[in-house]
Amino acid sequence: MSYVDAGYIVAIGGSFLYGLSLFLRRRRWERALSVKESTPDERPAVAERP
Amino acid sequence: MSTSMNTSDGAVRTPWRPRWLAVVGIGAVVTTALTVWLGLWVTPPDEVQGNLARLLYIHPAVATVALYWAGGVALLGSLLYLWPRTRSFFWDRLAAAAVEVGAVFSALTLVTGSLWGRPVWGVWWTWDARLTSTALLLLLELGYLALRRVPADAHIRAKRCAVAAILIAIDVPIVHFSVDWWNTLHQSGTVLDPGFNLHVHGSMLWTMLLSFLAFTLIFVWLLAMRYRIEVLQDAVGDQELEVSLSERWNEDAELVGVGGGSGAPGGDEGGGS
Amino acid sequence: MWGHFMLHDAVLVAGKDLRIEARSRVALWQVVPFALLVLVLLAFAIGPDQASLRHAAPGIFWVALLFSTVLAIQRSVAVESGEGTRDGLRLSGIDPAGIFLGKAAAIGVQLLALQLILWAGVTFLFDVRVHVIWLAVVACLLATVGLACAGVLYGALSAGLRVRDTLLPLLVLPVLAPVLLAGSKVWQAAIDNNVSSGTQWLKILIPFAVVYLVVGIVLYGPLQEAA
Repeated sequence: MSYVDAGYIVAIGGSFLYGLSLFLRRRRWERALSVKESTPDERPAVAERP
Repeated sequence: MSTSMNTSDGAVRTPWRPRWLAVVGIGAVVTTALTVWLGLWVTPPDEVQGNLARLLYIHPAVATVALYWAGGVALLGSLLYLWPRTRSFFWDRLAAAAVEVGAVFSALTLVTGSLWGRPVWGVWWTWDARLTSTALLLLLELGYLALRRVPADAHIRAKRCAVAAILIAIDVPIVHFSVDWWNTLHQSGTVLDPGFNLHVHGSMLWTMLLSFLAFTLIFVWLLAMRYRIEVLQDAVGDQELEVSLSERWNEDAELVGVGGGSGAPGGDEGGGS
Repeated sequence: MWGHFMLHDAVLVAGKDLRIEARSRVALWQVVPFALLVLVLLAFAIGPDQASLRHAAPGIFWVALLFSTVLAIQRSVAVESGEGTRDGLRLSGIDPAGIFLGKAAAIGVQLLALQLILWAGVTFLFDVRVHVIWLAVVACLLATVGLACAGVLYGALSAGLRVRDTLLPLLVLPVLAPVLLAGSKVWQAAIDNNVSSGTQWLKILIPFAVVYLVVGIVLYGPLQEAA
């Protein structure tokens, strides 16, 4: 693999993976929020800070 | 399609799926694909650097996002948060999101820079002003992110982080200037940027501009997503998190046979601040 | 004092410390960037000449490691600084030697991970290649034992003191200096492909590790009582 290919893969792949992680984290926190809102009297199940 | 975020009592409702975000996302994918096609196949190789010059359509754009877009938003957000007239958690969260995205792009800048530099200079790393100040920027951004994780009242955290971001923005140009001077006094002052001696014209120029657009759209999308996560995190609430975490630490203390100390290592000892 | 209970307790304590780290990730977010920062600062100090940097690289690796070890120790002590946590641990009947070994093991694991990162950093930033890899690896393993044991011991010494944060580095760095010395020499030998010189210097790291391991097992308990 050439340096050029590696560069393209790193930049675009890296951005993609980070974007994917953001997508998954958003989903996780949306779930945490809905759990929290539906159980007002007990401790909510907490998502750990990623 | 609902785009409601914070309501007046701070509550956050409904899944957030704004149309403009989807448009930006699609635009990012399309422009990136186009950049790759043009960059790898359509544009000609350079007279001097040959195919290596194709990194011109990746590295400068990534570096610009890291340094100027992300850094700019972080600085602006921090200033606007500190300024009483415009103070709002929106700016604080935007700045924090920008710093994280910026850190990712700083890292990508360093990697792509090394991949370009290795065949051109023969070494993976060189202590020139641009690479060095990008490396320092990355470390400073990691410091900011570590600071952000220290549990604290939202206003205090926002103020702390805003000040940190401003100090970073002041520091990086100073470092850049000093390292540049350090280098030029030592050697004959050649700029060690692999893209510096490239003669950019014609299709190369257009493709490079397109790459800037592509990575800018990527940046906007990532920033928006990260901002949204920041909002959600604050809505779920640090209080609950702290309580649950300290419960678990006590759990561990019980495992070891102790009645549960209140040592909460969640970074509150982190800076001795 | 010896035996199955000490080791069992050590594993429990090590597990607790590592789990706290896994949740709070302070080492990851603070100690690692700090270590990399030290590399960059030392490069600034030495100057942009590639040859000087290559020459200084082994020393830089070990200095960065030492400073980071101090941070890791301070962190390990801070974890126990909540009200009553240390008393609780003491009263719980856990063998203090076990606590010592557990904490040292937890720090040791973190130091090993840090060394991998620093190794990569030094290779990348200073353009050096370690040619005799086993030499460097053995040096790192031995040093880790010594650093972790000495570190936990001095951490206990300074625990509970208000001036802990400024006192600990002052107390522990001179003690760790032999590791810096010998470690740098072994690494230089590993880079220069000089096996005999390397093994000479390994011979300093071995007694250092053994001494602090034994001293720690013996003295940690009494130190805790006195604190």
